[in-house]
Amino acid sequence: MYNTEIRGPLILGNKSLGQITTEITSPLYARPKFWWLVGLGISSAMMLLGFWAIYVTVANGIGTWGVNNTVGWGWAIINFVWWIGIGHAGTAFSIFLLILRQEWRSSINRAAEAMTVVAVGCAAIFPALHMGRIWDAFFILPYPNTRGPLWVNYNSPLFWDFIAISAYLLISASFWYLGMIPDFATIRDHAKSKVRRAVYGWLAMGWRGSVGEWKRYEGLSYILGGIAAVLVVSVHSIVSTDFAVSVEPGWHTTIFPPYFVVGAIFSGFAMVMTLMILLRRIYKLEDFVTDRHLQNVAKILIFISLIMGTAYLTEIFVAWYSGNEYEIFTFFHNRITGEYTVQFWIMFVCNAIIPQLMWFKKIRSNILVLFIISILINIGMWFERFNIVVTSLAKDYLPSAWASYSPTFVEIAVYLGTLGIFIFGVLLFFKYIPMIAISEVKAVNKYQVGSRRSRV
Amino acid sequence: MDTTYILGVFNGEEELLAAFRKMKEEKIEIEDVFMPFPVHEVLEKQGKKSRITVVGWFYGFFSALAVLGFLFYTAVIDWPLNYGGKPSNAFPSFLVVTIVLTIFSITILSLFTFSVRAGLWPGNEKPVFHPKATDDRFVILLDKTKVDAERAVAIMKEKGASEITEKQNGQKP
Repeated sequence: MYNTEIRGPLILGNKSLGQITTEITSPLYARPKFWWLVGLGISSAMMLLGFWAIYVTVANGIGTWGVNNTVGWGWAIINFVWWIGIGHAGTAFSIFLLILRQEWRSSINRAAEAMTVVAVGCAAIFPALHMGRIWDAFFILPYPNTRGPLWVNYNSPLFWDFIAISAYLLISASFWYLGMIPDFATIRDHAKSKVRRAVYGWLAMGWRGSVGEWKRYEGLSYILGGIAAVLVVSVHSIVSTDFAVSVEPGWHTTIFPPYFVVGAIFSGFAMVMTLMILLRRIYKLEDFVTDRHLQNVAKILIFISLIMGTAYLTEIFVAWYSGNEYEIFTFFHNRITGEYTVQFWIMFVCNAIIPQLMWFKKIRSNILVLFIISILINIGMWFERFNIVVTSLAKDYLPSAWASYSPTFVEIAVYLGTLGIFIFGVLLFFKYIPMIAISEVKAVNKYQVGSRRSRV
Repeated sequence: MDTTYILGVFNGEEELLAAFRKMKEEKIEIEDVFMPFPVHEVLEKQGKKSRITVVGWFYGFFSALAVLGFLFYTAVIDWPLNYGGKPSNAFPSFLVVTIVLTIFSITILSLFTFSVRAGLWPGNEKPVFHPKATDDRFVILLDKTKVDAERAVAIMKEKGASEITEKQNGQKP
C-alpha cells in the first residue's frame, strides 16, 4: 500500500492503557443518570404495551390486525425486514471492516454488535407472531412428523428464513460475547464489590489473558468472522427471496437479493451512527469515537445511498423496458404516482437524495445534521419496506381483488413494543457492559490513522 | 503440588518484547505471558500454534456433507413430495439450506472447541497471577524449578520490569 501522510492518531488524547480502562468503564461505576432512568421507564412502558398487543394477537388471532385477503402481509413483515436490516450493522462493522483492515472500527464495533443482537431478537418476534398459531411454531422443524409430509418443504424461503435468522442470532450473539470476555475479565479484576466481582467473574469464564487463551480467541474470531461474513450476505438475500421467488409485480425481480443486503447495511450503519452520536456525547467518549469515525461512517452512507438510488432507478427502468403492463402499473401508477405516492417519495428522498448532502464537508462535520440524517435514513428504509410489501400486494393482477391496507392499533403497538425492547436493551448495555471494546482499542492505541505499521 | 512461580511485570509492550526476545534467545523456558491485548510477536513465538482454525474447517466440511446428505435423504429417498411437478432433488434449494446450516454447525462446534481448549466456561475460575494483567500490565510467568532464576530475573530487571515477585500456587496455569 502507498504511504499517505500521517493523518493523526486513531484514539485521541495520547492515553495510557490504564486511562483507557478507566474511561471506558466509568459508566459502569457511576450512579444511574436521570435520563437513563427516564429512558428505561419509557421503554418499559412501550414494552408493556407491546406485550399487551402480543397477548391480544395470540389470544384472538390475526383478525386483530389490519391484514386482509389481498394484503396478507402488513406491518409485521415490514417491521421484520426493517429490524433485520438494522441488525446487519454489527456484523458489517465487525467483519467487513475487519477484512478491509479498517482499524477505526475498534471503537464502534462493540456497540454495533450489541445493537445487532437486540435488533435480531426484535425481528424474530414478527414472523413468530404473524403465523397466528404460534404454539404450532415447531411445525417448521425438519423432524419426521406424523402430520403427513413427514419432513418439511426445503424449497420454501420461509423455511430458509427460519434457519437463517436462528443462525444469524446465534453467531451475532457469540461473536459479540467472545469480544467481551477479555473486558469482563478487566472489570472482574478491578471490582471492589463482591457482587460485581462474582457476576463479571462468572461472565469472564476464567479469562486471564494468557498466550493460550489469546491464540484461541484470535482463531475463533477468524472462524466466526469468516462465516459471519457469508451469513450477513446470505441472511438478507434469503429474506429477500421471501418476495423475489413469488410472481407479484414489483417483487419478482432478481435485483432483490443485492438490493436488500445493501439496504440492510445502509439502515444498520445509519442506526449505528445515531447510537454513537448519542453515546459519545452522553458518556464523553469523543476521544474514542472521534469526528473522523463519524465522518467515515457518513462517507460509507453516501456511497450506499448512491447504490440505493441506482437500484431504485434500475427497478423503474426495467419495469418500463420490460413492457409488462403489470410491472409498469405497479411502478408508475402505484408507486411514483397513485395511492401510495407519498410513501414512495418519502422513501426516495430520505434514502437517495438527503444522504447526498453529506458530500459537503460542512454538513458532514455538523454532528446534529448527521444525527438527523441518520434518523431520516431509517425512516426512509421503513418506507422502502412498506413500498415493497404493501403496494405490490394491494393492487396486483386482478382489479376485483384490489384492497387497501391500514394497520390496526394492535399492529402499531407490537411495533412500539419492539422499539421499547430495543431501547431497553441498549440502555442496559450502556450501563452494565463496556460499550467500547477495551482490549481492541488498547491494541490500536498507538496506531496512526490508515497505517498498521506506523506508531506514534 | 505447589509450584513457585516468578512473575515479571512490565508497564508496556516494548519492555515486554525486549525481555521476551532476550529470554527466547537464551532459551529460557517461559511458562506463560499475560497481556491485556494480544501482542502478536509473543503469540507467534510462545507455545504451539493453535489448530482451532484447521478444526473449524473440518467441522465445516463434514457439516456440509452431513446436511446435504440429510436433505437428499429426506427429500429424495425417504419421502419425496410433489411440489407441482418440480424435481425432488432440488439442489439450489439444498445449497441454500446447506450453507446456512453449515455456518450454524461450525459456530456451535467451534464455540464448544474453544471453550474446552481455552479452558473458559461460565463459572470457571482460574488463578489470577496479577490483577493488572487484564488492565495495563504485561506479565511474564516463569516456573522457578525449570529456569535459571537468577539469570531470568537479571534479564527482566535489565529490560525494565516494574516489579518482580514470586508466587506459590497449587494449580498449574
